[in-house]
Amino acid sequence: MTDNRVSPAQESEVRVVDKLEVGGQELKKYVQASLNWLKTNQQIVNSLNVFPVPDGDTGTNMVLTMQAAYNEIANSTEENIGKMAHAVAQGALMGARGNSGVILSQLWRGFARALDNLEKMNVDILIRALHEARNTAYKGVVRPVEGTILTVAKDVDIAAEKARVETANLKSILEKIVAAADDSVKRTPELLPVLKQAGVVDSGGKGLFYILEGILRYTQNQSLDTPIGAVQTIAALDMAQAMEEIEPGQDYEVVVDFQPASPLDLDSFYRDLSEMGTSIQVGEGDGMYRMHIHVPTDNRYKPIDYTMKLGTISKIAIENLMLQTGGVKSMAQKMAQVKLTPIEPGQIAVVAVSPGNGISQIFASLGANAIVSGGQTMNPSTEEILHGFEDLPTDQIIILPNNKNIILAAQTASAVSVKKVAVIPSRSVPQGLSAILRFDPEGDFDAVVNEMTSAVNDVVTGEITTATRTVELNGVQAHQGEIIALLNGTLITSTTNLDEACFNLLSQAKVEDYERITFFYGDNIEKSEVDRIIEAVTEKYPEHEVEVHEGGQSHYHFIIAIE
Amino acid sequence: MNEPTYHYHGDIYVSYRAISTIAYQSALESYGVVGFAPKNLADGLVQAIVNDPTSGVDVHYDKKSITIDLYVIVEYGTRIKSVATSVAGNVKYKVESTIGLPVSAVNVHVRGLRISNPD
Repeated sequence: MTDNRVSPAQESEVRVVDKLEVGGQELKKYVQASLNWLKTNQQIVNSLNVFPVPDGDTGTNMVLTMQAAYNEIANSTEENIGKMAHAVAQGALMGARGNSGVILSQLWRGFARALDNLEKMNVDILIRALHEARNTAYKGVVRPVEGTILTVAKDVDIAAEKARVETANLKSILEKIVAAADDSVKRTPELLPVLKQAGVVDSGGKGLFYILEGILRYTQNQSLDTPIGAVQTIAALDMAQAMEEIEPGQDYEVVVDFQPASPLDLDSFYRDLSEMGTSIQVGEGDGMYRMHIHVPTDNRYKPIDYTMKLGTISKIAIENLMLQTGGVKSMAQKMAQVKLTPIEPGQIAVVAVSPGNGISQIFASLGANAIVSGGQTMNPSTEEILHGFEDLPTDQIIILPNNKNIILAAQTASAVSVKKVAVIPSRSVPQGLSAILRFDPEGDFDAVVNEMTSAVNDVVTGEITTATRTVELNGVQAHQGEIIALLNGTLITSTTNLDEACFNLLSQAKVEDYERITFFYGDNIEKSEVDRIIEAVTEKYPEHEVEVHEGGQSHYHFIIAIE
Repeated sequence: MNEPTYHYHGDIYVSYRAISTIAYQSALESYGVVGFAPKNLADGLVQAIVNDPTSGVDVHYDKKSITIDLYVIVEYGTRIKSVATSVAGNVKYKVESTIGLPVSAVNVHVRGLRISNPD
C-alpha cells in the first residue's frame, strides 16, 4: 500500500456542479464514478454477508449490474438526460445480478421514468427522480423487508426532499443525501435482527451508499480508486493482522486506537502514514478508528505523534516484529507447514475437517488434499468448507466432517457446490482417520464412498475433556471443571483425576477386545503428563499396541482411537 | 401419510402445509415476486372460495429431502432470471433453516407478470 496516489488537489480539472442543470453526458460521468467507487469498495460490501446461501456476493453482483448499466452508455454521445437515463436503466435491467442487483435496476428504472422526455435535470427534477426510484423499487415486493437497500433508498428520498427546503445547490444536496445514506446504512442492524446477530450492516444498502458517494466524490474532485476501501470493521482488521507475513524492514508494528476530533480525511491520512511505514490498515467502528502500520525502528513513535494531532488516542500497542519473525510463527505459517497431498484432475479429493495442527498433519500424510480447521467449539461454516474444496482441480470430492456438529454444514456445502460431493458421516477424528485409510483417489467414486462410510464404524472413539458446566447425563453426574470421558460421544464418567478418566474409559470401551489404542493429545496438556499416562496405559495393557501423536486440538486432553 | 419426519425421542412430523406456509411467506419477502398463481383449475377454484395462505406452492417429500414448486407472478420490468434465482435461494434457505430437513430443489414457475409501472 505504498504506491503513489494522485491526490485530489493534483488533478487539474475542476468540475462545475453547482450549475443548475445536468445533461446526458454529465449523467454518464456520474454513472461511471458510481461504478468506479463501488468497484473500489467491492470487497467491503462482499464481506458483509449474513446468509450462507442467498446474496453470497452482494458487492460483486452490484458491480456487475452497474457495469452492465455503464456498458450500455459507454460510447453514447446522447445529450438528452431522459434518453441517457433510460439507457442506463435498460443496461441495469439486462445485467441485474442477485437480489440487490434487481433492486438496483428497479431504482434506475424509476429514476429514468421521472426524467422522461427531459433534456436536462435540475435540482427539483433530481428530487422527483429519487422519489420515483424509491416508489418503483418498493412496488417490486409484496412484503418489503426493512433494514435493506430499500430502506436506504427510502431514507435518501426523505433526506433529499428535506434538503431541498434548505438549499438549491446540487452539491450540498448531494452531500446531505450521502450523509443520510450513511446514517441509514448504520441503522440497518436495528431494523433487521439477523444483521445485528451477525454484527454487520446491510450489504446492499452499503453498496447503494457507495454508488451515491461515488457521485459525490466525483463532484468534489476526489479520487475514486484510493483504497479508503481498506477501511474495515475493527474485527476484520484483527484477522488480517494474524494472517500477515512480515517482510524485512518492518521492524515494529504500531497499532493505535483513536477518535478523530473532526471527520477523518482518509486520503491525506493514508498519504501521511505511507511516508512513515508500510502495511497500513485502517479500521472503523462507531466513530473509533484503529490504525495499523509496520515501521522501521527509527519511525516507531511517529505514527503515534501523528495520530495524536488528529484526535484523542485511547490505546496504543507496539510490538517488536524482529522477535516475532525469529520466534513464534503466525497461524498462517503454521498451517502452511501441513504438507497436503497434491491432486491430479480426475482423481477423487478428500477434504478433512481438523480440530488441531497435529491432526491436520496426520490427515495430510494419509492423503487429504485439503484441510478445513474446525472442531467442537469452532464449527466451520458452510462457506469455509466450500472454500476448502472449490478450488481443487477435480470435481469429485469427499468430505470428512470428523465431528457430529459439522456433518450438517458439510452436507449443505455439498448441496450448494456444483461438484460431485459426498459427505462421509464421520462423527469424530478417529472415525475420519479410519475412513481415510480406505481412501483410493483413483477408485470408482461410489465404491470409494461406500468403503469409507463402512469404515467409520470400525473404530471406537474416546474423548477426554473438561466439563464446562455441571450436568447430569446418562446417570453420570459431572461437575463443572471435572475431567469427563466420552465413549462414542456418550458421557460415561466424570472425575477429578485425568488418569482415572482415561482408565475408566478404556475399561468401559472393553479395550481387551481390541488390539490397538492411539492417543492424540491436545494443546491443553503437558508432554510430561502425556508420557506418564501413556506409560501407565502400556503397563496395564501390555498386550496392546499403544501409539501416541500430537493432535494439537484445543479443549480435549485426549482423543483416543480404539480399534 | 409420508410427511417429512425427524427422529428424536419419538417421531416428529412436519405437515406439507406448514412447509408451504414458510415457503409462501419467504417468497413474498423476496424481491420481484408480487404474487402467486393457482397451479391448476382446482386450485384456482379453491382459492376463489377460501383465501389459502399456501396457494401456488407445492411441496413434495421423498423420505430424504423436500422439493418445492412455486407458481409466482413477477413484477414487470425486473430481470426474471435474477428474481427466480433469488426467490429459489431464499425459500431454500428459509425452509432448511427453520425445518432442518434438506431441500433438494425449488422449482420456480413464472405464471405471469404484473405491470404496475408501464414504461
